Amino acid sequence: MFLDTIADNLTDWGPRLLAGLRLTLILTLAGFSAAFVLGLAVEYFRSRPHGPIRIIANLYITVARGVPILVILYLLYFALPGVGIILPSFVGGATGLALVYAAYLAEVFRAGLGAIPPGHREAAVASGLTPIQTFRLILLPQAIKHTISPLLVNLVSLLKDSSICALIAVPELTLASRELMAESFLPLHVFALTAALYFALAWPASVLARYVEERLHAPGERLPAAAANFTSNSARSGVSQA
Amino acid sequence: MGETFPALLSQALLAGALVTVKVAAGSLAIAMALGLALAAILFLTRNRFAHGLIRLYVEALRNVPSLTFLFLLYFGLAAVGVKLSSTAAALAGLGLIGGAVCVDIFRSGFRSVPDGQCEAAASVGLSPVMAFRLIVLPQGLRLALPSIGNYAISLIKDTSLVAAIAAPEVMFNARQLVNETFQTALIYGCAAVVYLVLTTAVAQTVLLVERCLELR
Repeated sequence: MFLDTIADNLTDWGPRLLAGLRLTLILTLAGFSAAFVLGLAVEYFRSRPHGPIRIIANLYITVARGVPILVILYLLYFALPGVGIILPSFVGGATGLALVYAAYLAEVFRAGLGAIPPGHREAAVASGLTPIQTFRLILLPQAIKHTISPLLVNLVSLLKDSSICALIAVPELTLASRELMAESFLPLHVFALTAALYFALAWPASVLARYVEERLHAPGERLPAAAANFTSNSARSGVSQA
Repeated sequence: MGETFPALLSQALLAGALVTVKVAAGSLAIAMALGLALAAILFLTRNRFAHGLIRLYVEALRNVPSLTFLFLLYFGLAAVGVKLSSTAAALAGLGLIGGAVCVDIFRSGFRSVPDGQCEAAASVGLSPVMAFRLIVLPQGLRLALPSIGNYAISLIKDTSLVAAIAAPEVMFNARQLVNETFQTALIYGCAAVVYLVLTTAVAQTVLLVERCLELR
C-alpha cells in the first residue's frame, strides 16, 4: 500500500524531487569547495605564531562552531539586506555552509598537519629541500592520509546540513519535498522518499570514510588495541572490525 | 504592546533559551540512554541479528538530515493519525538521531578498554555481564565523555531546527519578533550570542568534568 502510493505518484514527484536533489548536490559541492579553500586560509592564519590575525582566526572558529547554521543563514539572508547586500537564496545558502564548514575543515587540516612529527620537516630541510618541496613531497602526502577520512565525514555532514537551506527558500531537496507535501497531503510518503534519497547519497560516502579510516589508520585512534603494538598498517587493515 | 523593544527581545530570547535547554537536555537524556543500552547489547552479545538491527538503525539515522527526520515525525506521523506535539516530535526526533550517534561513541569507548582487562576479570571468576558492569563500563564511560561533550554541543545547535516544526525555542521566538519589529540583524545577532553562550557553557563544563576525572 505504502509503496503503491509512492509508485502511483512517482511520475509527478520523481522529476521534482530529482530537480531538488540536483540543487542539493550543487549546493553541497559549492559549499564544500568554498569551505575547503577558506578552511585552508583560516588554518594558515591560525598557525601564525602571533599577531591580531591569529586572534581573529581563533575567534572566527569559535563563533562558527558555536552558532547554529540556521542563525548564520538567517543573518546572511534576512539581515544583510538591511545594510544593502541582497544575496540570492542559493548564494546565501552556499555562503553560510561554506562559512561554517571552513571552521570545521580548519580543525581537520590542523589535525592532519599536526600528526606529522616535526622531525620530518627538519630532516627534509636539512637534506636540502626548499620549503615548497618540503611541503609538497614530505608534509602534504602524509597530511592527506590523515585528512581524507575526516574530510569525507564533513562532506556528509555538509550534505545533510544543506537541507537547512530549505528554510531560506533554496529550492533544494527538502524544500521540494515540503512543497510536494503541501500539494499531496501525503507527508509520510514524501518525506520517507526524501529521506531515502539523502540516505542513498550519504551512506556510500560514510562507508567509504570508515573504510579509509580503517585502512589508513588516521590519528584520533579508533582502534587503540591495534595501535598499542605498533604493527604496520597493512598487517591489520583487513581484520580490524567485525 | 506597550513594552519597550529591549524588554520584548530579552523576554523572547530568554523564554526561547529555556525551551532550547529543555529540548536539548531531554533529547540528550534519551540519546544517551538509548545509545548506552544498544552499545551494551553490541558489547555483550554475538547475536548477528541484534548486531544487524542496531547497525541498520545507526546507519539509517546518521545518514539522513535532522530536518528531514523531524518533518517525517511531525508531519508524516500526523498524516497516519499519530499526532505529536512539536516538543514531543523534537524530543523523539533529536533523541532517536542522537541515540544513533551515542551508540558509536559508547561502543568505541568500550572497545578502547584493553582486552586484557576483560581477560583478567574472567580469570578472577567474573561473569561476562559482571565484567562489563564493573570493569568495562566505568572505564568506557570516562573515555566516551569528550565525544559526548562534542555531541551535546552540536545537539544544542540542532535544536534550532525545531523552530521549523513550530516549537517556541530561540529561533522561533526570534523569527516571531522579527516579523513584528523588523529589527532583523539585531534580533538574529542576539540569538547568535544566546547560542554562543549556551554552547560555550557546555564546552567549559565538559572541560571541567574531564579535568576532575583526570582525562587531560
